Amino acid sequence: MERNQANLLQGTLDLLILKAFGDDEFHGLGIARRVEQITQGTFKVRPGSLFPALHRMEEAGWLTSFWGESENNRRAKYYRRTKKGERQLGIETEQWATISRAIASALKAN
Amino acid sequence: MESLRRLASALRNLQHKQQIESDLDMEIRSYVQALTDEKIASGISPAEGRRQALVETGGLEQVKQAVRDGQGSTAIQSVMQDVRYGLRQLWHNPAFSCTAVITLGLGIGATTAIFSAVYALLIRPLPYPGSDRLMEISEVNPKQNEYGGPMVSPDFVAAQSSLRNFESIAGSEAMGDMNLTGSGDPIRVRVAGITANFLSQLHVTPEVGRGFLSSEDRKGGPAVVLLSHGLWRSKFGEDPKVVGRSITLEGQSRTVVGVLPAGFIFPDSEVEPDLYVPTGFDSDTTITQNTQVHMVRVIGKLSTRAHLEEAQTELKLFAANRAKGYPVFLASFMEQRVFVAEPLHRFITGNNRKPLLILLACVGAVLLIACANVTNLQLARSVARQHEMALRGALGAGRLRLVRQSLIESLMLAAISAVLGIGTATLLTWLIRRGGMPGGSSSSLGFAEILQVPFGKLSAAVEMNGGVLAFTAGLVLMTTVLIGILPAISGSRWDLRAALQGGTRRISAGRGDRRVRKILLTTEIGLAVVLLTGAGLLIRSFVNVLHNDSGFDPRQCLTAELQRNYTEAPEKTVGFVGRLLQRLQGLPGVQTAAISSSLPLQSIAPNTAVLPGDGPIPPIGQWPVSYGISITPDYLRSAGIHLLSGRGFSESDDADSAPVVIVSKLFAEHNYNGSALGKQIRTNINSRGADQFTRRTIVGVVQDVRYNGAEANMEPVIYLPLKQVRQTSLTILLRSNIAPGSLSSAVRRAVIETDSDQPVFNLQTMEGRISQLVAQRRLIMLLIASFALLALLLAGVGVYGVFMYWVSQRRQEMGIRLALGSTRGGLLRLILIQAARLILVGGSLGLAAAWFLDRMLASALVGVRVHDPVSLTLAWALMTLFALAGTGLPALHASRTDIVSVLHSE
Repeated sequence: MERNQANLLQGTLDLLILKAFGDDEFHGLGIARRVEQITQGTFKVRPGSLFPALHRMEEAGWLTSFWGESENNRRAKYYRRTKKGERQLGIETEQWATISRAIASALKAN
Repeated sequence: MESLRRLASALRNLQHKQQIESDLDMEIRSYVQALTDEKIASGISPAEGRRQALVETGGLEQVKQAVRDGQGSTAIQSVMQDVRYGLRQLWHNPAFSCTAVITLGLGIGATTAIFSAVYALLIRPLPYPGSDRLMEISEVNPKQNEYGGPMVSPDFVAAQSSLRNFESIAGSEAMGDMNLTGSGDPIRVRVAGITANFLSQLHVTPEVGRGFLSSEDRKGGPAVVLLSHGLWRSKFGEDPKVVGRSITLEGQSRTVVGVLPAGFIFPDSEVEPDLYVPTGFDSDTTITQNTQVHMVRVIGKLSTRAHLEEAQTELKLFAANRAKGYPVFLASFMEQRVFVAEPLHRFITGNNRKPLLILLACVGAVLLIACANVTNLQLARSVARQHEMALRGALGAGRLRLVRQSLIESLMLAAISAVLGIGTATLLTWLIRRGGMPGGSSSSLGFAEILQVPFGKLSAAVEMNGGVLAFTAGLVLMTTVLIGILPAISGSRWDLRAALQGGTRRISAGRGDRRVRKILLTTEIGLAVVLLTGAGLLIRSFVNVLHNDSGFDPRQCLTAELQRNYTEAPEKTVGFVGRLLQRLQGLPGVQTAAISSSLPLQSIAPNTAVLPGDGPIPPIGQWPVSYGISITPDYLRSAGIHLLSGRGFSESDDADSAPVVIVSKLFAEHNYNGSALGKQIRTNINSRGADQFTRRTIVGVVQDVRYNGAEANMEPVIYLPLKQVRQTSLTILLRSNIAPGSLSSAVRRAVIETDSDQPVFNLQTMEGRISQLVAQRRLIMLLIASFALLALLLAGVGVYGVFMYWVSQRRQEMGIRLALGSTRGGLLRLILIQAARLILVGGSLGLAAAWFLDRMLASALVGVRVHDPVSLTLAWALMTLFALAGTGLPALHASRTDIVSVLHSE
């Protein structure tokens, strides 16, 4: 899986993270675990790609962040999806559907 | 919108850099902590849990860097980091930085200065709206000369009404200098005739009053005049009521109708008239034996739809049609004549074009050599900095980042050099402008004197401006790439492990680097040889021009010019000359004094029709013309012209005595195989009419004298007694036994005392005249010679630097060679042979290039030919010697290698 993850398209990572948020708020490890969960363990997001993605998406206005208390009473930075992030999820979902349809049909072709 | 927001956020991030960094740190730490907690919760011991968490996270620094790289602010931040780092690097290596900055600064400065001249003289559009459609129309007649000349007025008048490809056609006529009297001191003014549409075609409106009306521009029209702004200021105190006043020009009263605006420049590279009068050409376009023609400089404005080629075709047809209407005796003469249109801009800058472009090429070559030198320095440094680069690589800097860092360092270097360069260039252009300004000649700065006026009045426009600065910015970028790209690539190429492991041992440059350095070095040497050859050719030409025997002795001579009214009766002129001469001869310090129609080296035109003593008079237009100079008896003695046979003129050769003539040696050889004495010729000054020939006896033959500048060929000339042949353009020539310049005011006074209405102009020593004549040649020679010297120095330093480095890299090898029994002389030879091979290759390349390129200078050579073996050999020998000297020190250094210390350092 390692190799695949290295090749994980940036857009795909954004899509997965946006999807994983739902209406909840997560800190870094939380969202990584959530992605792992909803992809049934296929995608393990490493901090080396997770944090750059979170910061980039925050800069783009798709996420907002705040400092809060974690389950173990530790300070942690939490993220939450914005309205704009929701719209972006719609756009990226559609794009992904197009791509996957195209690839599926390409693979079926003889 | 999006990009704006990103930029804003980037700027915000820059502002709160500290805060953001600590937040990021905290965030990553809390991630690791959360992961550890997870591990502990699954039953792993706290210490092992933390260890696993850290391993899974990967390097904390790398994660942070990845986040920073993804942010907009990072790009700016890291560039600023690189800039700071680059400046620190330069600061800590003052020897390297100073060498590089001075080398590049001089290169950039000189290139910028030369370019500013090129820009002002060749590129910047003329100051007339729509000037790209303005064409100079000139007559080219292979039977007369190869260059274009003015049109005759009947052709011009015909062209005005018949050429369809031109929106308008305007003409001007140089009327020379005239005396302006009747308003204060008499002064000499330069006058041009212009057609009524001349100003409107250039979109120029008079500042005061109006331009000429077409009703005024006709034969026998009213005597009106336009003033230049300069004359209006100096002579009339900018009086707005000057319009309507009358002034006296050459004894004729004229009414002022207007004043031209301050910024107006007459479209001619040399002449800038003070006064303008209507041309008043005859509207009759036929040419007969008796037609009085004027020579007209023609400027046509191409109509918007027309192309230059169509216009050329039309002009050819026009020329053919005109020739049909010519009288029979002119028809054959006009057979090959054509009219040619060329852009006015090109016409005005014509003579300056080539020398300026050659200068630009030379200075560009110097800059290239400077770049090659700095590249070599950088390459050497990049080897020394290899360890540093490897370390930076290990700490997470990508290869691109390293290349960028290195390029930014080069950019810093180029930018600092450009500041120095712009300073140099500003100073140089200021000096050029000063030289170009009227009155600038009195400057005591010797350097400014050298830069004076050689490029005509447009040099007053040489300045640093937006266009030039943009060019400099381009130079900086080019320099950056030239000096930065090779070191950047070679510096980022290191195998990290090898570099770090081998950190204690010195690692010499790779094969590729060595080859690059050798190529750079041979190129430098080659370019320097080319420049040296060019300089050699020009220096030899200049020396030849100076030592050209012009047939007279310019030392101890003071000269001045006068102009009498054209309309004056000959006896009056002769009377004036006699009285003036008497005063001049009486001045203390004057040995001999003479008055003549021309001075040696002065521009003269063939003005006298000369026929053999007998035979029929051929039709007008087929009369052979020669240079006829009217002189007073002491002219030959004052100028130091040797009488070869016969006698000189005396005071008794006057209007009542037998007509006589003295001829030059060339004239005698051409016409009489040398034995001209006693022969008769018929002369006709200004080719007046067939009945105006006078039969004269040749009483003397004199040595040939050069006229028309310091470089022209000697021409056959005849000398006439001024009392017999009066001319109205006069010159004074004094030979003194004191410093001739000190006589100036006495001469001026003598003229005023003789005739209070008579202005004197161009009062200067003969040597001063000569230095003005060779000013442009001298400037170009000096510039190219200094560029060549700079190139020689830079190439020499380059050779020294490369071999010094090479030797320092091979100390071990030298030590081992010595240990194995090589002699010190052997080591010296080893290095010298290596160097000599490179120098020979560079020199040969340079010789080959010079052989091809020196023809660019062909037109500027006097007394030497292209491929001049002396210049080529000297250039090659000088460079080779210099380069060998440059290797001498490193070679000596190598031969003194101390075996013990080398072996110890292992």
